[in-house]
Amino acid sequence: MKGIADIRAKISRANELMGRELPRRFYRSVFRGNYPGTVRQQLAVVVNNLILHVHPTRVYQRSIKAKTTFGLGLICFYLFIIEWITGVFLMFYYEPSTGAAYGRILDLHYTITFGRVMRNLHRWAAEAMVVAVVLHMCRVFYTGAYKPPREFNWVLGVVLLLLTLALSFTGYLLPWDQLSFWAVTVGTNIVSYAPVLGLKLRFLLLGGDTVGSDALLRFYTLHVIAIPALAALIINYHIWRVIKDGGLAHPQASEEKAPQLQRTEGVILTFPRVVYIELLVFVVLMVGLLAASLLFDAPLEEEANPLRPSNPSKAPWYFLGLQELVSYSAFWGGVMVPTVLTAFLLLLPYADRRPDGVGVWFARERTGMIVLWTVILIGIIVTTVIGVYLRGPNWNFYWPWQGWPGPH
Amino acid sequence: MEKWLGWLSLILTLTLGWTVWDASRPEWEQYQKAYYRVALSRAENEAQREWARSQRVEIRQLQLKERDTVERCVTCHAAYDNPMFRSYREPLRAHSSLVESHPPKRFGCTACHGGEGRAVTTLEAHGEGAILAKPPLKGEYAQAACYNCHGLSTLPPQATAAVVRGQHLVNRYFCLACHRINGEGGEEGPDLSAAGSDRSWLWLYAHTARPQGVLGGSTMPIFSLTRDEIRDVTVYLMTLLNSRDQLKNLPLRARRAAKDYVAEKPVEGATGDKPDSRDIGDGIDFKYGGRDLFQGAGCSLCHMIGITGGEVGPALTHIARKRDAKDLERLLKDPEQVLPGGKMPQLYLNERQIRALVGYLSTLS
Repeated sequence: MKGIADIRAKISRANELMGRELPRRFYRSVFRGNYPGTVRQQLAVVVNNLILHVHPTRVYQRSIKAKTTFGLGLICFYLFIIEWITGVFLMFYYEPSTGAAYGRILDLHYTITFGRVMRNLHRWAAEAMVVAVVLHMCRVFYTGAYKPPREFNWVLGVVLLLLTLALSFTGYLLPWDQLSFWAVTVGTNIVSYAPVLGLKLRFLLLGGDTVGSDALLRFYTLHVIAIPALAALIINYHIWRVIKDGGLAHPQASEEKAPQLQRTEGVILTFPRVVYIELLVFVVLMVGLLAASLLFDAPLEEEANPLRPSNPSKAPWYFLGLQELVSYSAFWGGVMVPTVLTAFLLLLPYADRRPDGVGVWFARERTGMIVLWTVILIGIIVTTVIGVYLRGPNWNFYWPWQGWPGPH
Repeated sequence: MEKWLGWLSLILTLTLGWTVWDASRPEWEQYQKAYYRVALSRAENEAQREWARSQRVEIRQLQLKERDTVERCVTCHAAYDNPMFRSYREPLRAHSSLVESHPPKRFGCTACHGGEGRAVTTLEAHGEGAILAKPPLKGEYAQAACYNCHGLSTLPPQATAAVVRGQHLVNRYFCLACHRINGEGGEEGPDLSAAGSDRSWLWLYAHTARPQGVLGGSTMPIFSLTRDEIRDVTVYLMTLLNSRDQLKNLPLRARRAAKDYVAEKPVEGATGDKPDSRDIGDGIDFKYGGRDLFQGAGCSLCHMIGITGGEVGPALTHIARKRDAKDLERLLKDPEQVLPGGKMPQLYLNERQIRALVGYLSTLS
């Protein structure tokens, strides 16, 4: 009898362990303490947590106001993560060969569970990322946040803008439909207008003189590993530098006006307020993207046909400003404008060394620069809109209410 | 803040629920369920009942090795091979006996019927969804596909009757006066050499019936065709494919050609291979006089006489005052020589037709 009682006791102890003890122990092994209630604990949470420790423990009250940043940098980061996750999903089904790629996309679209919504999410998040990155850059410019000591982080940001465009462009080819084939043909033709190196550059990019199976493989490799890995590294660096450069750009109080006040006033704890707001932005973004992906399908046309150019053949929309310029002059649109724009962006924080207007929207002292930037921005928007909406067959001009003639 | 986060998380959860709901009730399920239900109720013996009960509702596809693709049409058209369903409505209708000589497991569906074989919703499979596929060819329209593999030589005439009639109509109405097909014809209108690849049959039908209804401002005249005639012209146009579409069914065709080369002889009554398009003009019956020729052959589509006729070319009400018979004859023979750069097309008329037309036009003064 004693033996049986012993076994019973052992079983009940095992039950106790598996039923209550194990989950509790597991929980404790992940979360070391209870919900942080005191200020001291809340400070510790930010420092001790792998993800949260990129934050400072305290931030200025104004940093979490919507109009300070509109959360644009955060949105770019979230979109990158969403692209990552949906992209890995798509990689399980995609095959980068000219014979199979289009069929794989159709299968994703028609039969694979959640395939359509994942592809739509990937596409719409990519389009949103291009927009968000540009808006983020405009925010940084208009608040003078690229000025010392943040010059180098601006340069990293410009590199990330270029990488975002490169990611989007390389991904554009992968469905291997008429739209992507001719868009990439046009896009890489713009590259070839560069003097001396142009044709070599296009050859390097495409693995040939025309878009073919080598181009598809190259774009695929660039799209799924080379550029994302580089971008992920730089994004980490970019975010880390934000803290190391002293947090968000903050209006400088002049020496006479209570210098100490500015440093201590309106500081709040990062946990929980900032963390909650960041989660909130994610949830709102995700709801919007999911709804868009359920309602609108990502564009897809017939399978690529190298023998039958679409007319008009248009590059991806963010390059249509350039294509519009190329239609006037290949050299100016294809070479000078992109080179000068990139050089302008990279050199901006070193050329514009006046320290005033940091952290203030549209500071009056910076009127000249703000006007310059706005003019460039409007120029890009106008040429892009013309390229997207007002150009028909043979790149002729049509108002939206005019029908395009002939077969289309 | 927590409250907002809570509510929005709830909305996100609902949106995710919507995603799952959206994916969990595909359209094809209802057709397959209906098929097995009807099959069960109409079963005549235990074996059939057992079969109907044991069927799983799932996406079905034909793996087509020779064409290197898959087609899922049979996911909805599940009864295509069940003779009990001969008299049912689509999608649960058995295919005609043509499947016996064209086993779908080898040929698939789109080789003859077009459409998007990979799709599993009506909209997308039938080419009405976001992705531009071609609406399927049914009934007489599928003759275009018969013709594209077999030509005219080895088929009984009724199998390509619509194609042949369509070709005759194209000749009779001088379509090649304005349009070019395989290097022959005028340049006034678009080249039709690949009309069947560039367009869906729906588009071609609508455009043949009333061009301005499809392309606003089109200068193509409205031909007063009957519905059957419009259909026949459309079927003929659907046989005009670009090289890529011609090659699509090549694996199937190549095997047939190898097999048929010796075995099959032209069927009696078959019209011979594609008529030479240079025969244009011979579609006209010569027993009519110049006036009938003018009205019936297409002149009046562009030219006005009195108050009837088109407005593409100049009115000819008083043409005899301007040009004498010799002038007219030269013009009709070779318009380009008399009116270089003009719109008047080369009509390839023969001597008798020209004489008849000149006779009529000379009376207009």
